Amino acid sequence: MSSSTTLAQILERPDVWRGDALARAALPGVPTGFTDLDRELPGGGWPRGGLTELLPRHRGVGELSLLLPALARLSRDELAWLVCIAPPYLLYAPALQAGGVDLSRLLVASAPGRDAAWACERSLAADGVGAIVVWLPEVQAAALRRLQLAAEVSQSLLFVFRPATCASQPSPAPLRLALEGEGEHLIVHLLKRRGSAQPLPLPIAVQRPLRLRHALARPASALPAARSLPRTAIA
Amino acid sequence: MLPDLAVRERAIEREQAALRRLACWAGGFTSEVCCLPPSMLLLEVAASLRLFGGAANLCAGVVAGCTAQGHLPRAALAPTPLAAQWLAIGDGDQCCRTLDELPHRLGSLPLSVLALAAADEARLASFGARSLADLLRWPRAGLARRLGPGLVADLARALGELPDPRQRFIFPELFADRLELPMRVEHAPALGWAARRLIDALCGWLAARGGGISECVFEFGHESGARRPPPTVLVLGLAGATRDPERISRVLGERLQRLQLPAAVEGIGLRAEAPTALVGHSRSLFAERGEGAGGESMAGLLERLQARLGDDGVHALSAVAEHRPENAWRRVAAASLTGGRSPSSLLLAAALRHSAAGPRPLCLLAQPQALREQAGRPQCGGPLRLLAGPERIESGWWDAAEPDALGDVCRDYFVAISRCDEWLWIFRCRSGWFLHGVFA
Repeated sequence: MSSSTTLAQILERPDVWRGDALARAALPGVPTGFTDLDRELPGGGWPRGGLTELLPRHRGVGELSLLLPALARLSRDELAWLVCIAPPYLLYAPALQAGGVDLSRLLVASAPGRDAAWACERSLAADGVGAIVVWLPEVQAAALRRLQLAAEVSQSLLFVFRPATCASQPSPAPLRLALEGEGEHLIVHLLKRRGSAQPLPLPIAVQRPLRLRHALARPASALPAARSLPRTAIA
Repeated sequence: MLPDLAVRERAIEREQAALRRLACWAGGFTSEVCCLPPSMLLLEVAASLRLFGGAANLCAGVVAGCTAQGHLPRAALAPTPLAAQWLAIGDGDQCCRTLDELPHRLGSLPLSVLALAAADEARLASFGARSLADLLRWPRAGLARRLGPGLVADLARALGELPDPRQRFIFPELFADRLELPMRVEHAPALGWAARRLIDALCGWLAARGGGISECVFEFGHESGARRPPPTVLVLGLAGATRDPERISRVLGERLQRLQLPAAVEGIGLRAEAPTALVGHSRSLFAERGEGAGGESMAGLLERLQARLGDDGVHALSAVAEHRPENAWRRVAAASLTGGRSPSSLLLAAALRHSAAGPRPLCLLAQPQALREQAGRPQCGGPLRLLAGPERIESGWWDAAEPDALGDVCRDYFVAISRCDEWLWIFRCRSGWFLHGVFA
């Protein structure tokens, strides 16, 4: 066997990739619902069997809206279960339903402290769980590493939300995204992925409440008309 | 000669209890069990062979299960109960499938397996009989004249020439069993291993009755002393009726992790009072996703999460057709989901689709958070820019008198964006501006 075939064989492996191209994923990813983002992710979507770390700079930049198309697809088309662990706010059922998520396939676990990582590991071991969304603001690197190993043997998507200050720390996650809002767009910085580095931020057009009706017709800085509300109360 | 030899008195009652527990456990293999005190169990397995993958697999399963229950079994399989008994007493580990093979297999057994009276045994020895083969070769009429008809009838039953009905073991109506531990156990997690025997027996009993349980009660008896604490009672609730021993032990394990024992434990009791009928399920043709595909099932996951996080720790969501945002959703018991869709939630979802409302945020604050107002504009880390609205949500007088209800509201909702590009859902009411949701 010549050495060139050996090298070619090695490059066939999903865990080996060239530095100037995207790695090939062992399993095709779940489409994110945003073509620009799909093109930049190895596997063409959110990676199955891997930890995806999401680092939103502020709350409310559209961090969940970014996941919503994939979650809707998993729950409705693949009939897979979604597990949300330790959300910092109440997940609002009508909005999830409007986003296309099948509520009868959604479990919410309020797990304080270290129980969140435990619940996450258990959910990864279960059959039929399509995606796990977990908020781990104070997770240790060792716990994150364990979650990554657990994710590798499962086929579920695992999204971990951490504060943006963690971006400078090393992480075992194969995919790390920093999220930032800019006007109507959500700016995605690909901090880490399998394959060549992507220094340019990606503007993603996530669903914004503006696109629906009720948009203000006049300049938003003006005071809204308080129809029957007494002006004295808001002085 | 043996100074450290501990002599213990034989406890016949406990032996019998152990045999009954084993009979219950054997219900997992067949519902036709026969108890032969002091130490023999007969299982009629002809109907179970296919389910368990053949005679060899079934035998191996029975022996392994008995060993796990703490017994040292000698097992034999034969077409007639008496032949199986003799083979088990003689050699053990014999597997004879057909009647034709039987005389040859029985022939090699010594006469002692027949457990004859001493006089009869001496008599047979004087005839020159050494093994069962000699007995089977001789003419039956002569044997009957010399040793009575009993022995000849036994031989005929063993060879399948005469019917041999046995009394069935009656599986009790309620399962209640108690296991004395060989030593005191101080740490709760260590109890899971011993409790596994009881759980296995319980699941055998459930299989024989064709039922499952969704609740069982463990009772940990403490050692007797001057101030003996009352037994610790642990009620184990499961997400749905089951008879899977793995599932029950996993949930028990999670509960034991957090159990504080007031004293060392001497015995474990297990009661299951309300078995419910369990609908049988077909095995899937292809090992796909779903129950039994290798991992844990959703119901199993739910039970483990509930065991550790508490019943309120895990829930599902449902949308409700109601205009006030706080009331437009509801927590639902997660167990109702894994059992299948409830028709009421379907109706609600259908009703909701018709009511087009303004934008709703993915995250709602548990309590609206008051915002400062400066120069006529609400502040949240800087002035907020209003992008859409107002959407008027008002009224709700009908539940104003109820204790925890929201009551009458009058709010104008806006979509606002903060200086650091946070998309917020805020409202204004008589008492000022409030932050109510985050468009995450």
